Amino acid sequence: MRDNSLPERDVDTKTVKIAARDVQVYYGDNHAIKDVNVDIEDKTVTAFIGPSGCGKSTFLRCINRMNDTIDICRVEGDIRIDGEDIYDRAVDPVQLRAKVGMVFQKPNPFPKSIYDNVAYGPRIHGLARNKAELDDIVERALKRGAIWNEVKDRLHAPGTGLSGGQQQRLCIARAVATEPEVLLMDEPCSALDPIATAQVEELIDELRQSYSVVIVTHSMQQAARVSQRTAFFHLGNLVEFGDTDKIFTQPEDPRTESYITGRIG
Amino acid sequence: MTDMPTPQPIPRKGSLLVQDARTVKRNRAEARFKMYGIIAISMGLLMLLILLTTIIGRGTSAFQQTFVSLNVPLLAEKLDKKGNRDIEDIKKVSTFGYAPLLQAGFEQKVADLGIATDLKPKDMANLLSKDAAATLRDFVLANPDQIGETVVFEFLAQSRVDGYLKGRVTRDSIENDKNISAAQLDLVDALVADGTLAKKFNISFITGADASDARPEAAGIGVAMMGSLAMMLVVLALALPIGVAASIYLEEFAPKNWITDVIEVNIANLAAVPSIVFGILGLAVFINYMHLPNSAPLVGGLVLTLMTLPTIIISTRASLKAVPPSIRDAALGVGASKMQSVFHHVLPLAAPGILTGTIIGLAQALGETAPLLLIGMVGFIASNPPETIAEGLLSPNSAMPAQIYEWAKRADPAFYERAWGGIIILLVFLITMNAIAVLLRRRFERRW
Repeated sequence: MRDNSLPERDVDTKTVKIAARDVQVYYGDNHAIKDVNVDIEDKTVTAFIGPSGCGKSTFLRCINRMNDTIDICRVEGDIRIDGEDIYDRAVDPVQLRAKVGMVFQKPNPFPKSIYDNVAYGPRIHGLARNKAELDDIVERALKRGAIWNEVKDRLHAPGTGLSGGQQQRLCIARAVATEPEVLLMDEPCSALDPIATAQVEELIDELRQSYSVVIVTHSMQQAARVSQRTAFFHLGNLVEFGDTDKIFTQPEDPRTESYITGRIG
Repeated sequence: MTDMPTPQPIPRKGSLLVQDARTVKRNRAEARFKMYGIIAISMGLLMLLILLTTIIGRGTSAFQQTFVSLNVPLLAEKLDKKGNRDIEDIKKVSTFGYAPLLQAGFEQKVADLGIATDLKPKDMANLLSKDAAATLRDFVLANPDQIGETVVFEFLAQSRVDGYLKGRVTRDSIENDKNISAAQLDLVDALVADGTLAKKFNISFITGADASDARPEAAGIGVAMMGSLAMMLVVLALALPIGVAASIYLEEFAPKNWITDVIEVNIANLAAVPSIVFGILGLAVFINYMHLPNSAPLVGGLVLTLMTLPTIIISTRASLKAVPPSIRDAALGVGASKMQSVFHHVLPLAAPGILTGTIIGLAQALGETAPLLLIGMVGFIASNPPETIAEGLLSPNSAMPAQIYEWAKRADPAFYERAWGGIIILLVFLITMNAIAVLLRRRFERRW
């Protein structure tokens, strides 16, 4: 079986892709995220860990403004991608989401064919000029999603007919088909079995080459396996943020230590 | 560790093999409840059975009608006195002028068959429907070249004769009846034995127009059916797009605040408003204010649209709500706009539910009578079948349920039979529509 240590790669930690400053999120009167400051680097996997309800998913959904769909949700502070404030009035969230792809907790393929699932994003963004180009994009995305070999003979079968792990990889392929720059993953493996999880994790490590990947996870082992940087959230606060190795071996904050050793959470 | 005194302990709370008093009581209550359910359902089924057998038993006879076959000499000296075959001159002969021809034809028939009777030709021809002369005139006007020939016709028999053949009229029941006499019934018996007078399938009941009190045998539901169809066209064309658009806006786009809450509560209330209220609204707005024509299916359709809209909106919103939010998230997540996510993903998934709701709403509108009372669509409206769609929408017409009500309230029992027959046709329509709704749901329902 596979061991838990991934081969070390050179990590370009110089460029900051996403910079969050004093981010506050309110659900009605509930202050869900308090003063979060974080710099997420390009071509890096950043993991958000923390107990349930600590706000890590909420913060993730701020990065592509999915929280806009929740009426009572209010976001304050500053989130910048490549230096541009994504909560600026001039920013259209639809354009933002083309740039910041997202993979959800539960695999949610459209009840359409595998091909149409992947082709949908490129189609609505006009990325392909003709059928051949679209075929190309779909093939590339499915290969990147590490699912091409399994589905290449049944591209027109419904996406909902795949197994859970395949569905999730299809969703990843769908997300990368629009050529995003950032990929957000909200507990992408929580509905998957260990084998499918391993496949998706391997995939995440591949994707790091081209994207800035942010992953929310409940599994500390997973965070340790796939990420280079880890952020620990607790009760809406960002408690600690740093290199994954350091967080898991020499945490500075006692709360982080308690959490990773299993005393809280 | 605790001590285990024996390897086989005695159950502390009694044996599992014996039901305790509480369990027995609970099981009895459950059995009783199931029995009530079965009784309720069997009562319902029994009532349905009674209803259906009554409707079919009383209504099927409306589809059959007694016809008399006669050879009628189209005498030129009666129909075309000038002998120039000018259609304008022929038109001058009213239906009244055709009566002698019918009498002559009937007298000839009776003489040919050698039936001995004291009846005068006029009384013989009385066995025919009052519609017969009109049928004859229509034929002559359509075929003026046939004048001078003798042509075979199938005329409707009058309703008493029809009732006699169907068992509704007996020799006892006609003692005080001025429409028919015992001697005429003797002639009827003789003609039946010969086959001149017989019951046949009556297509004009399904295609024809309503007829006056004096000739129930000529009444049909066809024109009312056209009225109903025209109304359904209006309802479908207006209620479906307006209803679906309104529900999409309310469900997907509208902000959730007190205004939308008020609208939501009011839509739910509108669905429960008595339909006659919509009739009054239609009378006030469409006829009195907008001056649309009275008794027109267009107005009926508009009123029924108002009535159907809440049903369509409620069912559409329910089916939109049933689409899992993960699909919306998925679409938004790849950068679809709100509208793209609704029209590309949510709406197709909700479509079977929307269609089912629409068809149920239409079926409800099809059976509605009360709002039509107020806009003048209930009453004696014997018009010709409309020839164009515009005429179908604007010329006075009735609707199927209104026609049934109209027949049911008339005095002659011959209309009573037609009311039941009309109910059969209406039910066939409703069952067909509901079957389509079920089929659509089965066919297009997707699982995820």
